[in-house]
Amino acid sequence: MPAQAKDLFNDAIDNELLNEASQLRELLSLALSPSKLELLMRDNCVLCHTDPEAQDPETLFWTDPEAVGSPPHLNLREVVRDVHFRRGLSCSGCHGGTPTDEDMADEIYDRWPEAPERHADRTWIPDFCARCHSDPAFMRRFDPSLATDQYAKYRESLHGKLLLEQADSKAAQCVSCHGVHGIRDSKSPRSPVHPRNVPYTCGACHADADYMKGYKDAAGDPLPTNQLEEFETSVHGRALLERGDTGAPACNDCHGNHAAMPPEIASIGQVCRTCHSGNGELFEGSKHKKAFERNGWPECEKCHGNHAIARTDDSMLNEKSNPLCYECHRENAEDNPDCIRTAEYFYASISTLATEQKSLAEQVHQLAEKGLDVEPLAATVDDMEDTLRQSRSLIHAFDRSEFEKIEKRGHEAARQGWEQVEAAEGEYRFRLTGLRVAIGFMILLSVALYLKIREMEART
Amino acid sequence: MSHHASPARLSRRSVLNVLLSVGVLGWLASVLYPVIRYLTPLPLVGPGGPVQLTRSEVTKIERDKFAIVPVGRRRVLVLEDSEGELRALDAKCTHEGCTVKYMPRDSLIVCACHNGRFDLQGRVVAGPPPKPLATYAVQRDEEGVIKVTV
Amino acid sequence: MSTARADKRLYRWIDERYGVSPLIEFLRHKEVPLGAHPLFWYFLGGTTLFFFAVQIVSGVLLLVYYQPGENTSYESIRYITTKVPFGWLVRSVHCWSAHLMIVSLVVHMLSTMMLKAYRPPRELTWLTGFLLFNLALGFGFSGYLLPWNELAFFATAVGTDSVKSVPVVGNWLLQVMRGGPDVTINTVYRFFALHICILPILTVGLITVHLIFIQRQGMAPPIAKHVAPRGMRFFPNFALRDLLWWILCLAALLVLALLLPYGPGIPGVEWELGQKADPLAPAYPGIKPEWYFLWIYQLLKEFPPHLFGLEGPQVCLAVVSLLMTTWALVPWLDRKARRDEPSPAFTDFGVGAMLFITFLMLKAWDIGAGAVADGGFPDPAAVARPCAWILLAVAVAVTAVRIAVYRDRWFVFSGAAVLHAVLHGLVGLPYLAAGAIAAAAAALATGFTVARGRTSAMPAGGGH
Repeated sequence: MPAQAKDLFNDAIDNELLNEASQLRELLSLALSPSKLELLMRDNCVLCHTDPEAQDPETLFWTDPEAVGSPPHLNLREVVRDVHFRRGLSCSGCHGGTPTDEDMADEIYDRWPEAPERHADRTWIPDFCARCHSDPAFMRRFDPSLATDQYAKYRESLHGKLLLEQADSKAAQCVSCHGVHGIRDSKSPRSPVHPRNVPYTCGACHADADYMKGYKDAAGDPLPTNQLEEFETSVHGRALLERGDTGAPACNDCHGNHAAMPPEIASIGQVCRTCHSGNGELFEGSKHKKAFERNGWPECEKCHGNHAIARTDDSMLNEKSNPLCYECHRENAEDNPDCIRTAEYFYASISTLATEQKSLAEQVHQLAEKGLDVEPLAATVDDMEDTLRQSRSLIHAFDRSEFEKIEKRGHEAARQGWEQVEAAEGEYRFRLTGLRVAIGFMILLSVALYLKIREMEART
Repeated sequence: MSHHASPARLSRRSVLNVLLSVGVLGWLASVLYPVIRYLTPLPLVGPGGPVQLTRSEVTKIERDKFAIVPVGRRRVLVLEDSEGELRALDAKCTHEGCTVKYMPRDSLIVCACHNGRFDLQGRVVAGPPPKPLATYAVQRDEEGVIKVTV
Repeated sequence: MSTARADKRLYRWIDERYGVSPLIEFLRHKEVPLGAHPLFWYFLGGTTLFFFAVQIVSGVLLLVYYQPGENTSYESIRYITTKVPFGWLVRSVHCWSAHLMIVSLVVHMLSTMMLKAYRPPRELTWLTGFLLFNLALGFGFSGYLLPWNELAFFATAVGTDSVKSVPVVGNWLLQVMRGGPDVTINTVYRFFALHICILPILTVGLITVHLIFIQRQGMAPPIAKHVAPRGMRFFPNFALRDLLWWILCLAALLVLALLLPYGPGIPGVEWELGQKADPLAPAYPGIKPEWYFLWIYQLLKEFPPHLFGLEGPQVCLAVVSLLMTTWALVPWLDRKARRDEPSPAFTDFGVGAMLFITFLMLKAWDIGAGAVADGGFPDPAAVARPCAWILLAVAVAVTAVRIAVYRDRWFVFSGAAVLHAVLHGLVGLPYLAAGAIAAAAAALATGFTVARGRTSAMPAGGGH
């Protein structure tokens, strides 16, 4: 142990703040860096509240709170990993008082309501955090890049309105999502507001049917609680939760976080466009745009859904497997048979390209196993993959003209691919012929040699 | 050689000798042909490039300011920036593997799939891509021939 | 006729200057013994030599394009196999020929063992052959890494790692082999030097010595069979047969190289280039070394981390060294063969060693493991059982042939190898415990036969 740390422990023992062997063990087991250790050991709050002789379980901080019967938020190990503690803010930063005091000041008790009351009524929390987090001058001393508009946004959010205007303490506030004693940077994978954890943090309330009972959406219907379940099976949920792709959206990417609210019909399309900008632009210039506006339909959601959004599939264009386009068109555009024909054309073209691409990809595999150079063919298959992707995107213009260009490119690539397959097979035939010729000569030579040996031995 | 051999035996032996000579020559040819082909250098330079862009690819760069060029197993984005300098970057977006394109007006490389944006050094500017695009060496000689090395 | 005369004139011209006629004369008188064994056994050394020659030619051709280096090793091999005309053929021939060379070398060594050709005065021929075998393994090991692909990288990382168990100098040796604490491109440089320079020089030198020994002493006659000394003239009769066989080998090599360009598809006998090595990527399960190292690889797995106060791998390495040394010293250990008497114990020693190695190889291939979940490892007991059954079948077949054809009556070592497999695979004892029991049983049985041989030798006066 460094001399300085030893002094700190000696001081604490001299001041009778470190009395128990178990307390010493707890503090040492944290394995803190010297500066953190100093922060901890110069804080009488910590020293007193880690002394099992001086504290009841309700007020005792321990590395394993369950073992001593303390509530989970009194986890000492979490406290020292808290983002506030890491930046030098200890107990008094929130609780008030002076760390060097021997006794607790009255100020500490006055800071917020008494225990039962403060647990029942949570309306004081946002205000409390905002004292620092809404003060740019203050926050600059710790993290100049951190926004200070959270409280302003929160007040406008549905959560904020419920809590602050209707005094509904069930509504989420700062602590509900960020926790207490052990608050981590949102970039930490262990933070409840890290993208991969957000769905479960939101789901803690929103997937709990009992908890959500009585809440209604804008239309007055009961608020559903299946969003998490749907999201987990969606293309976004799988990308985020199974593959860990933090580029995929979590709840807050569409609903906002501090200003959480459901996207209105008018803005759903904009929410999707943050990532799917290309398709958005195509839709913008399409005939659908006006029709959707006229009928007041949410743009993307109309076909793709919301929380349960599935991986798109070419069969969405096919009447037999998915009535999506056809039902809607029969109801709303009966007088325009061209639409149905366009959809059929899209489906037929994309299917053809996809089949071609698939069989060419199989060829890559087969030819490679024969030891042939498949690099040019693999490049063509990549190219086809690319045109397929683009053609699937281009249907969002709901028009043939742009689509036809890319389709042509796809067919061109397919033709080139089959030429390359033919060339590779020709090369293989050449190899086989060469082998046959060489083997032929070798057999001839062997036979001649054999006869020569016999003839030679017959002579002697 | 042997003076006691009958004429029939002699002719059989000479047939055998012809057979043997043909066999040896054919065998030599079938071994030497691949070796000679193997040793003859290719017009393209060694492994890993550089790969010379085709005429149509060069025209495409002149027209659109960029082209997607296959180099070995990779697809490479070759672009001409606003200063007329050539740059070559991997064309495969690091997010989902879509092919990126160059937007000359914004001096940005954009992936249309999920709106990922990269600057001309390949660094991620916006969107979901987790990693920057790899950059490659590219040169243009006096005659306008462009070569990319991966 | 005039050409023949020209031939003769050329011969005379050379002979006058370099005196080659004694050499030709010597070759004319050199004979291959006939009558005791099928002639086939005498072709194996030449076959190995032929494949080695193919290795030199194809290796030199590869050297024309191969460039060792971080960004060139993998790329240049890729370039050779995809772009260079017939490059695929050269690499495929090099790989196939490497494996076939080791196959023919092993068969050559085994036939020498079975026919007792190592007995005096040919002990040093055996010893040089044994050293050549080790050099061949070195060739395989060093050449495997040069393409710098994923498979080679992990196999080399695992293979070199066992070196650190060598007492005292282990860590130093590991660093010297790898050119640092880990397998990096520096390892490629070292292996490259080893593969194309150091090993070839040593091998050519040793082959020369090996051949000089054979030429000085002639080929070993069969043991005490008292057949009439018949022989075939080495030159030209035998040499032409050699040539004929080599042409057939080359034809087979070409067929294999074209139809199976990346090997027969057995783990440990494959050389598909795959992905470039990435030292930061995690190793995937199922990485196997080349087939001729599989038995050591499996034996290492059978040892616990600690045994007799030593590290498990150290004990394993000691066991392997003991076995290899015993094998090298067979000409001195085999007292009967030294007296030119039949030596069934050492025949069985060879068979037993093969069974022992076969069982380990079968286990290393996870035969009978069925489908294993991704990233999982097969259940060792489920593997050991079918392997033991296969070994039992092989042993029964081999023994039947030995009894029926060769009239062998000595089965202690092969019996011990079978007992080992049965105790481990079918009874379920740990591999080492089963091995200890089998070794003890073999020692007892040997002691018993020796004792009985002594007592019964008195009245019978002859033994076998």
